[in-house]
Amino acid sequence: MSDETMSSAQLAARHLTRHFTVRTPGQLRNAKRIVRAVDDVSLDLDAGKVVGVVGESGSGKSVLARMLARIITPTSGELVLQGTPIAIKSKRTLDYTAQVQLVLQDPFASMNPVHRMSHNLIRPLRIHGASKADAPQLAEAALRRVSLEPPGRFLESYPHELSGGQLQRVSIARALCVEPKVLLADEPISMLDVSVRLGVLNLLRGLCDNDQLAILYITHDIASARYIADSIIVMYAGQVVEQSRGTALVDEPTHPYTQLLIASVPDPSDPTRDVPTTGEHAQTQVADVGCRFSPRCPHVMDRCRVEEPPQFIVGESHTSKCWLYADHQTAVEVALSTRRKEGESATT
Amino acid sequence: MTTESMGIDRDVTTDVVRTPTIATATKSRAMVNGAADERILDVRNFSVDYGWGESAVRAVDNVDLHLERSKVLGIAGESGSGKSTLVYAITRLLRAPGVITGGEARFNVVNEDGTERIVDLVNASEQELRMIRWSNISIVLQSALSALNPVIRVGAQFEQVLKSHRREMSKHERRRRAAELLALVGLSEDRLDRYPHELSGGQRQRIMIALALTLDPELVIMDEPTTALDVVTQREIISELFELRSRFGFAMIFITHDLSLLTELADEIVVMYAGALVERATSRELYEAPRHPYTLGLLNSFPPMHGERNLLSGIPGSPPDLAHLPTGCSFHPRCPYAMARCSNETPPLVDVGESGRSVACWLHSGDAGVVVPVELRRANPDAMIAEPGEVS
Repeated sequence: MSDETMSSAQLAARHLTRHFTVRTPGQLRNAKRIVRAVDDVSLDLDAGKVVGVVGESGSGKSVLARMLARIITPTSGELVLQGTPIAIKSKRTLDYTAQVQLVLQDPFASMNPVHRMSHNLIRPLRIHGASKADAPQLAEAALRRVSLEPPGRFLESYPHELSGGQLQRVSIARALCVEPKVLLADEPISMLDVSVRLGVLNLLRGLCDNDQLAILYITHDIASARYIADSIIVMYAGQVVEQSRGTALVDEPTHPYTQLLIASVPDPSDPTRDVPTTGEHAQTQVADVGCRFSPRCPHVMDRCRVEEPPQFIVGESHTSKCWLYADHQTAVEVALSTRRKEGESATT
Repeated sequence: MTTESMGIDRDVTTDVVRTPTIATATKSRAMVNGAADERILDVRNFSVDYGWGESAVRAVDNVDLHLERSKVLGIAGESGSGKSTLVYAITRLLRAPGVITGGEARFNVVNEDGTERIVDLVNASEQELRMIRWSNISIVLQSALSALNPVIRVGAQFEQVLKSHRREMSKHERRRRAAELLALVGLSEDRLDRYPHELSGGQRQRIMIALALTLDPELVIMDEPTTALDVVTQREIISELFELRSRFGFAMIFITHDLSLLTELADEIVVMYAGALVERATSRELYEAPRHPYTLGLLNSFPPMHGERNLLSGIPGSPPDLAHLPTGCSFHPRCPYAMARCSNETPPLVDVGESGRSVACWLHSGDAGVVVPVELRRANPDAMIAEPGEVS
C-alpha cells in the first residue's frame, strides 16, 4: 500500500462548479437568472473508502454526481482520474465510463422494462468490449458479487418480476460488470423498502472493503451516511458547508445547518431534545451575497449577510463554512483525503 | 379537557406563535365528548381484496383497529403491506378492483348540532359519505402536487370545499376563512392567489393540511404526508401539525414506513406486514420492547445517530408478493426465529397480557418449550413493576 498512498485519489474533483441559466417566469423577455447549482466543490474519492454527501433536495448533490460521471459538463473546475487530469469540456470517453460508474435512485426507472436482465447487463459489457461469448459469464459474475443467487434465474427475469431491492442490486451489478474503480451512488436506497435498505448499504460497504472500490454515497439521510461513510460532506445550496472524516460531523456538528439537519432527524431514543427553529420556513430563501444559509440561520450575524465565509478548521480533518469559527484557522486545501495517514493534519 | 394527551409532551415544542383565529366553533367538540363514547373509530374483522374470484389478492386481512378521540394512531408498514389500502377502504375511497370483502368500520359522527351518532362506513350510502367526508373525516395525501388541482388557484380550492359544505357562508367569509386556515399553517394570505406549481413542496403540503382542517374534522388521516419532504421541512410540518392538534383536538391516523418518526409522534402504533396486523402497542412499548421479530427487524433497520457504528443486519429477503403469500405466518421465510409451526399455521393476533398490547407470533403463544429470545422479551416500559424478572 505504501506506493499507493503516494498516488492521488482514484477520482479527485477540484473547485467543481455548475451554474444553470434560467429564465424567470413573468419577467421581461430575456430576463435571466443564474442558479448556482454546485459551487466550488472539491473532494477526493479514494480506493476502499466511502464518501457520504448529505443534503436536502436542491442542494446540488445529484448535479455533483452527474458532473463526476461526466453526464453534466461543469461550468468550471477540474477532474483528475487516477492522477490524469481530464479535459472537462471534452466529450466523455468510454475509458472514463469504464472507470467511473453511476447508480441511480430509482431502480424501476433505470432498467429497460421490455428487456430481460440479461439484455440490461450484457449490453454495457458488449459496449465496453467484452466478446459475445464472455459477456453472459461476466454478467453472472457481476450478479454474484451483489448476492443475487442463482444468477441464471435473475438474467432471465424482466424488471417487473423483481422487487425494488433486487432491481437496485441488479443496477449495482450493471455498474460493476465493467470493473470500474469508482462507484457513484445517487440515493441508492431512498426508493427501497425500509427492511431491504440495510442490505444494499452493507453490500456497498462490502464492495468498498473487499474490492477496494471508491464509493460516493449521496443521500438525504444523514443516519445512513454516518453508518456507511468514512468521511461525510454536508451540502447546502450547492456548497459544502461542513465536512469531516469519520463521524465527527454527526457527533459534534459545528455548522448551524448541520445542527438543524441532525436535530430534525427523528430520534426516538431522545424525544426530549431541543430542535432549533428557523423561525419562518424559508427553504426557498438562499442568500445571493454572504453566507447562503444566513436567511435561515439562528446564529446569523451582520457579517454573514455581506461576506461569504471560508472553510474554517474546527477539528482534525473537520472544516466548517461558518463565521462562528472565524477565530479558527482557515483551511488551505479544501478537499479532505480519507486516506491520509493518522496524525497527519489534513490542512498542512 | 379530555383532549390533552401525551403526544403533545413528546412532540417537539415550537415557540412559533400564530394568530389564534378560528371562526367556525359550530361544533364545540370538547364539551360534547366529555362523557360520551371516547372511541371515535372502531374497525373490526376488516378485509380488502384486489380483484374477484380466483385472481383475488388479499391486501388487508382481518384487521381490527380502534382509535380514541384526539389520539394519534400510527400505521407502520412497507410498501405493499396494505396500510394505505386499509385507510382508503375505511374511508370508502378505494376504487375498483379494490373490494371490501368483510368487516365493519364504525365511526362516531358528531353532527352540526353537537349530537352524536354511529355510522358503519362500510354500509353507508354515497350521500351519507359525502356529508361525513371532509367535515368529519379528512385525508392528507402523500403527493400534494397530484392532490391539488394544478389548474386552479389555491384560494379556489378552499372556495370549493366551503361552497359545498358551508352553504350559508358569503364569498367574503369564505375568503376570510381560507386566509385564517393558511395562517394556521404559517402561510401568508397572498398564497391564495398562487397556483400549486408556484409553491414549494413544503408549502403545498401545508396547504393540504389547511384544506383538511377547513371544516374542523374529528379525524384527520395522514397518508405519508412528509415522505417526499426534506427532514427539516418534515420536522417543521410535524411540529405545526401537533400544535394544531393540541388546539383543535382532532384524532389522527398517521401512515408511514418510517417507524422512527412514528415512535416519536404516535400514541399507539400498529405494524402491518403482508396485509395483516402483526403487532399493536403504545409507541414507547413498541420502541423499547418490541415483541414481533418483524418489528424488531424494522427498528434495527434504522442506523442510529449516536454511539458506536456496528454492523446492522436489517431483515433478510424481500417483502412478499401478496399473490403468492407464504403458508403459515407470512413473515416466516425472513424470520430468524422461525419454528416448524410457523410455516404451517398462521398465528392469531393475541393480547400478550401487558396493558392491552398484542402480537401475532407463535413465539408469544405461551406454549411450553418455546423459548422467547431475550431481545423479544425486554421489560415493558409501561409495565415495569409487573415483570421485574425480565430486565435483561
